[in-house]
Amino acid sequence: MTSPVHGPAGLSTTSSHSADPERLADELSRNVQRWFGRSLHIRTIDTGSCAACESEIRLLGAPHYDLHRLGFFFTPAPRHADLLMVTGPGVRAMDPALTKTWTAMPEPKVVVAVGACALGGVYPTDAFTHGAIDKVLPVDVYIPGCPPSPIALLHGLLVAVGRLVDRVGAQPFTTTTTGPAAASPC
Amino acid sequence: MTSRTTAGPRHNPVLAELATGIGSPQPLGHDSGTLHFTVTAADLEHFTHRLAETAGARLADLFAATGDPPDQVVLNMLWALDADDAYLLIQTQLRGENYPALSDIAPAAFVEECEIFEQFGVRPAGDKPLNRVAVPPQADHDIPRLGAAPRHVDGEVHAPHAVGGHAFEFPFGPVRASAQESLYYGLVTSGEEVVDLYLLTWHKYRGLEWRLQGMLPDAALFYVERAEGLSAVAQAWAFAAAVEHATGLRPDPGASRTRALALELERLYNHAAAIAALCQATGLSVGQAGAEIALERLLRVNAAVFGHRYLFGVVGIGGAQRAPDLGPLQTELPEAVAELRAVCRLLSGTNSFLDRLEATGILTTEQAVRLGLVGPVARAAGVAIDARNQHLQPPYDDVAVHPAQGTTGDVLARYQTFLAEIDESARLISELARRGATAGGTTSPRKAGSGLGWAESPRGESLAYVELDGDGSIRRARLRPASARNWRAFDDACRSQNVFTDIPIIEASFWLTVAGTAR
Amino acid sequence: MSLWFLRGLRRGVVTTRYPKTPPDPWTATLPTPPSFVTDRLDIATADALVAVCPPAALRREGLELVYDVGACTACGRCLVVADGAAVPSGQIELATQRREDLVKRVAIEGGVQ
Ligand code: SF4
Ligand code: SF4
Repeated sequence: MTSPVHGPAGLSTTSSHSADPERLADELSRNVQRWFGRSLHIRTIDTGSCAACESEIRLLGAPHYDLHRLGFFFTPAPRHADLLMVTGPGVRAMDPALTKTWTAMPEPKVVVAVGACALGGVYPTDAFTHGAIDKVLPVDVYIPGCPPSPIALLHGLLVAVGRLVDRVGAQPFTTTTTGPAAASPC
Repeated sequence: MTSRTTAGPRHNPVLAELATGIGSPQPLGHDSGTLHFTVTAADLEHFTHRLAETAGARLADLFAATGDPPDQVVLNMLWALDADDAYLLIQTQLRGENYPALSDIAPAAFVEECEIFEQFGVRPAGDKPLNRVAVPPQADHDIPRLGAAPRHVDGEVHAPHAVGGHAFEFPFGPVRASAQESLYYGLVTSGEEVVDLYLLTWHKYRGLEWRLQGMLPDAALFYVERAEGLSAVAQAWAFAAAVEHATGLRPDPGASRTRALALELERLYNHAAAIAALCQATGLSVGQAGAEIALERLLRVNAAVFGHRYLFGVVGIGGAQRAPDLGPLQTELPEAVAELRAVCRLLSGTNSFLDRLEATGILTTEQAVRLGLVGPVARAAGVAIDARNQHLQPPYDDVAVHPAQGTTGDVLARYQTFLAEIDESARLISELARRGATAGGTTSPRKAGSGLGWAESPRGESLAYVELDGDGSIRRARLRPASARNWRAFDDACRSQNVFTDIPIIEASFWLTVAGTAR
Repeated sequence: MSLWFLRGLRRGVVTTRYPKTPPDPWTATLPTPPSFVTDRLDIATADALVAVCPPAALRREGLELVYDVGACTACGRCLVVADGAAVPSGQIELATQRREDLVKRVAIEGGVQ
């Protein structure tokens, strides 16, 4: 099994929202290319979604999000895929297909669990479902949401390639009546 | 409350005829729109024949439930009497492991016969081979079922299909193109032509009906919405209405308009998505981009109005959990719809697009009736069924719907049905918003009862049936999204003189989900 | 086809500038997982939240509410019963490489009733 993939050291992890957009997009796709030697290719697999997560993933390629500008492309061939987006709670009947897809992908590969189902939020572990994707595959990035919006998906993909730092670990998700407790967002 | 005053046999010749000898059908639960009666297993065949011969009677669903005593099975046959604003539930207590082969009389029953065999171990008489519906073949772990497992399972069959002659089978799936649901096509081809096609849908079966057992309806709603996320509103409405009919709850008019608003928003974004998929399947990338822009804007309107892009959490038992923010309906929605119409106008003037749709994936009226199809697929084939105006419930008793209708039954007719329905949904939304929409009433009383609920999803009639125990928990819940109905015509549509590059076009025009059928 | 071309030009640019800019303003309408107001949270409220949460994203361990943001569907049911003890967090950039980072322990500071 792979170790979690972190962005190679030395790549600037930028979460600043100030640089020129074209330059930033360029830099992103250059970094992605440097790391993977080419553009980054995404394969998706559904392990029992309700179809809403798929709908949001499809929209990543639509004009409002235009995933290509960041150097990501969808590919139907696992052998050309660097990153696997998995939706659904891991229905056991999909195990053979899931394993086959994952095994066919060349190293280094990144697994992204997409949505509350894939993170263990909707279905329990039982005879039908594993209940969460990290019970079946080594997951590198988790994207919460039901479904995660395309913006949340973009954030997750950029975290996956080390282009954005994840900040959720520092968020307490608490507040008090007199104001936000501890660290406030951003 | 509803414009329906009587739905008794007195006023309905079909029912009066049927009821001869068994007494009058009774309303199911607190709902005059659904009648039920009990027939013996010996009479079942006879009644099925009579209904199948009745014009305007449509087999809407067939499902089983655990009987009393629990080692017996109750067969529930649901007919829609579309011309009479009524559903008719015929319940039969089965003895033994067989019942008459209903699909020999009403072919629309076949998929459900297979399903009932898997879940309850009872099968239609005769040795007709039954397909696998939900239980995967490699299920060495024992899959929980709604009833007793079959004692003996046939080998792998794909009835009624057979490979012969020069044709060969080309397996495709379950992992398909990017961001598509898991689905397996067994494509039988002689090189280019589609000789035959069968689907395997068990890859993502999540056992939802099994999961709902024992839950309280409020908690169950969470899963009902996730059975088919792209018709969360319709399925949740059907389920909530079933619980309301079982317990005698009546949503107030404002809350029923909230549901209808959400339902029409659901239709708009789904039709936009279907049109984007049609463009993609025909290789029209500029059209696809245009339709996707409209789709994204519609989803943002959903978020602005109801706080969720896919409208989860809007419907509640007895009403609506959220009130809409009507502002964006007046500003952003008209712009998004105008955007969609502009794209469609261009598409409708693009011959290379229309040529791919015309005479592709044809379903005849006869096929649509025989298989009990619903929604745009049925309407495009000339079958005028729409639960919004044939099975009246608030708010549609106040707000009339003019359903679309086609005749040619091809992909083009489905596309044109989408266009007409986009206009009608936009009109309905402004009318509903003008009358005001509120939240309210979201817990169900803890009492026993049975009920049927329905709503017209973007894909067609969604149904739900519940039996509640005395503590208000679910004894049996049946979910029947439109997808569970319409996939059965997909092979017919693909087979009609098509080459296999037409399949993605046909799939886009059906706009079904696998989640809905493998629920 | 020329119509299509003109239309392409007329559309202008709709593409988000994210991640260069913060998420677009419309994303404020998206559902987000709750934040808990610790001093309004007592045991009874915490237990009510746990009971209403459909995906079991919440559980109580003594005087702590264990909250799995990853399992949360942002369904908003807890907001309804919380009586002000839960508010939407407004967070949408939630992806992480460490699953455990999504599990929060929230102190129940509103006392035992
Ligand atoms: S996470 Fe939510 S939206 Fe995504 S597949 Fe699961 S239920 Fe559907
Ligand atoms: S929003 Fe829903 S899923 Fe999330 S914690 Fe609250 S009740 Fe649970």
